[in-house]
Amino acid sequence: MSNKLIIAAAGSGKTTHLVNEALKVTDGKVIITTYTEANEKEIVKKFYKLNGCVPDNITIQTWFSFLIQHGVKPYQSVIYNGKVKGLLLVNEKSGFRFRGWNGQPVYFGEDDPKNHYFSKSQLIYSDKLSKFVVKANELTDGKVIKRIGKIYSHIFIDEIQDMAGYDLEIIKLLFSLDSNVLLVGDPRQVTYHTHDEAKHKKYTNGNIKEFVENECSELSVDIDDTTLNKTYRNNQPICEFANSIYSNFKPCEYIEHLPTGHDGVFFVSPTDVDAYLSIYQPMQLRDTRRTSVNSMYSAMNLGESKGLTFERVLIYPTSKMLDWMLDHSKEMKPQSKSKFYVGVTRAKHSVAIVFNNKNGITIPGIINFTL
Amino acid sequence: MAIKKIKIRNFKCFKGLFEIELNKGLNILVGNNETGKSTILEAIHIALTGLYGGRNIRNELSQYLFNKEVVDLYINSVNSGSAWPPPSIIIEIFFDGSIDPEYEGNENSEHDSCEGLKFEITFNEKYNSEYNTLVSKKSMMSIPIEYYEASWTSFARQSVTIRSIPIKSAMIDSSNYRYQNGSDVYISRIVKDLLSPEEVTAVSQAHRKMKDTFIDDDSIKAINKRISSESSIVDGTVSLTVDLGTKNAWESSLVTQLNDVPFGYIGKGAQCVMKTELALTHKSAQHAQIVLLEEPESHLSFSKLNQLIKAIEEKYDDKQIIISTHSSFVANKLGLENLLLLENHQVIRVTELASADFFKKISGYDTLRLILCKKAILVEGDSDELVVQKAYKNNNNNHLPIEDQIDVISVGTSFLRFLELAEALNLNVAVVTDNDGDIDAIERKYANFIKENKKDNIKICYDEVVDTGALTINGKPYNYNTLEPKLLKANGNDLALFNKILGTDFESLDELQKYMKHHKTETALAVFETSEEVAFPEYILEAIKDE
Repeated sequence: MSNKLIIAAAGSGKTTHLVNEALKVTDGKVIITTYTEANEKEIVKKFYKLNGCVPDNITIQTWFSFLIQHGVKPYQSVIYNGKVKGLLLVNEKSGFRFRGWNGQPVYFGEDDPKNHYFSKSQLIYSDKLSKFVVKANELTDGKVIKRIGKIYSHIFIDEIQDMAGYDLEIIKLLFSLDSNVLLVGDPRQVTYHTHDEAKHKKYTNGNIKEFVENECSELSVDIDDTTLNKTYRNNQPICEFANSIYSNFKPCEYIEHLPTGHDGVFFVSPTDVDAYLSIYQPMQLRDTRRTSVNSMYSAMNLGESKGLTFERVLIYPTSKMLDWMLDHSKEMKPQSKSKFYVGVTRAKHSVAIVFNNKNGITIPGIINFTL
Repeated sequence: MAIKKIKIRNFKCFKGLFEIELNKGLNILVGNNETGKSTILEAIHIALTGLYGGRNIRNELSQYLFNKEVVDLYINSVNSGSAWPPPSIIIEIFFDGSIDPEYEGNENSEHDSCEGLKFEITFNEKYNSEYNTLVSKKSMMSIPIEYYEASWTSFARQSVTIRSIPIKSAMIDSSNYRYQNGSDVYISRIVKDLLSPEEVTAVSQAHRKMKDTFIDDDSIKAINKRISSESSIVDGTVSLTVDLGTKNAWESSLVTQLNDVPFGYIGKGAQCVMKTELALTHKSAQHAQIVLLEEPESHLSFSKLNQLIKAIEEKYDDKQIIISTHSSFVANKLGLENLLLLENHQVIRVTELASADFFKKISGYDTLRLILCKKAILVEGDSDELVVQKAYKNNNNNHLPIEDQIDVISVGTSFLRFLELAEALNLNVAVVTDNDGDIDAIERKYANFIKENKKDNIKICYDEVVDTGALTINGKPYNYNTLEPKLLKANGNDLALFNKILGTDFESLDELQKYMKHHKTETALAVFETSEEVAFPEYILEAIKDE
């Protein structure tokens, strides 16, 4: 039995590592779970690539579907015995009941589990799913979590940085099992937030390492920030620039890349963007759909690009991102910082940042691009 | 790895809930006809395999799977305007301990944490609007089975596929269901279950290769050439080939043979023994095994039955065996401690009865005779037995009691122990006993069964008259209150008649009495075999009387 948290840098072969670890298990069942469906598919694809098939003893599931199947349903009736028809993704606090006299929203409490946890159409609210699991586990003297331990000898959780609130509580409970628990993720790449629970608030925004250190100290969890701390994707200048965004993290290492003639991080003036796009064909990365881009070339939101690799990218930075680049003492908000880090680490050869450098400022690590 | 408990609701003869707990190894279901022995086996088999009568239950849904009374009540409720919800059949299988923790949860009728699964035939709510229209007409004739579906869920509220159920069941009964090619469904299943996944793949590959070879054969090629050249009406090429269609084509085209004879052509008895042996020898680490045997005695000769029982005894190992039987031979051979008695939809474990040590004192065989017969007449000894048999025969068109499933059992002095069992199991019993000249003593002895304590199913028969006489033997007064003097009395103390029956020539009644006392068995045998008209004491006639 072992518990382990691996801090994995972008492009370090995290999915490959996870799949290889799973393939080593021949005696016992493995569950690999992750937040997003996109990453779930990525893992399945990796299995086909490395092994030709997903072995019988390995199950790959999204975190939500895992929680519904193994967390909610087996002992559901201790909280609510109606039919659970699925999951309702919510972006704000769920279980709204009515507005009070002063316009304040009033929510259904735990004393009304049907409306607290479920929508009218019997879908469980995504922000309360893990709370339901923790409560059901309490009410059954731990049977919910023990059952998971009986089924799976190995529990792998990918994209661990996306866990928040009661998710973290579940992870802590899983650590107490005899099963081997392996958490993998990059705290620098928090993008998805479905929880806004008060539970474990201080550990949101990628503080999973601190959570493990502070809250799980008795459960002997190894924290490994070396195994997956080398990027195979980014070249030296990109890697070093990305490291500077998260200076409090152990710097990520890199391997030698063959030069392509246009390598590193560049400032590109807005007037040069069209020409730049036509020469280098980078993927345009924007903050939101509202950011205007050149629609002749492909573009996607920074958040959506997570997990992907491009030869080159062109980032349309937000003003906060620019402020930080010009003056590192101006800290970005966690969300912007994370998105910017994700965007930068997508590229193999070059990262271009759109910036009208009227005064010809020179910033270490960034080359001012000219046609 | 076994089944701990089964709960059956509304299936066939079970109205409402029926529950039975099983032993880990051998289980022998005994009970009269119509008590639901076979239904229990069917229920287990459907829940574990989805097969009913060898066919997929999903295609066999019908009203007749439901308990008739429940159906009638439901239809009446609909037609009277206060419709009940549509009835469901539910079969719950509780696993013993841990087989597969994925099946653990509390979605069972006991709301308890346990591994298991639930099979249901229920109304599908997506047909609500059609159903409402139907109900509102108040003229329902039968259950609207077209809106029903069969489904399996684990106790963890997860729907399960039959293939993933961790207990494999093999049903061995006298009927056999065939594929079109004559191959027996069960045997194919058992053989298939014997194979490892690698072997299954190998078989299907070999099967495919065989078909390819067929198509590649020169004669087939020549034929195809001729067909395509001769058919001018159709555009395109017409050719003869083999259907590679279904995934499991090989299953239905392979035939199991015994000594070069296809399975379907060997005798029923041999089929039964072979199926059982195959099911018993099947080893699987991942799966629990359960073998269901329906009344093996009904299609086996005594020696084959013996062979089968021996195979079961020796090889059942860690498999769970459930046998339904009428045969006291089968039940006795396999051990009384494994006996589950069905009576009025209740299960009684013989070992759980109050008088558990009772069985140490009485032979299991006699106990079984008591349990399995329709009615038992308990007598003290062999001579009483013969006389009662004769009395029965005379009054029932020369039938021996056993022909009418009435068993006359000599119990020595253990009357009360047998009665305890009869009381607990609600068995029909008549006791034939001497009064030994002391009515009070008899009434004290049977106080729990006579007068105000009289039980409907238990009759105590003795002569209420104490006879006396002058005869003494060795200075002791002769007992006029045993079977022989009572028999003599019933025939008007007819010396001549008894001399004739016994082939003796006594000149006085006293001499005859003495002889009969000292030759009880010879007397009884002579009475049994005589063709003379014999009358029997009233209390014996009372015992054999049919209610």
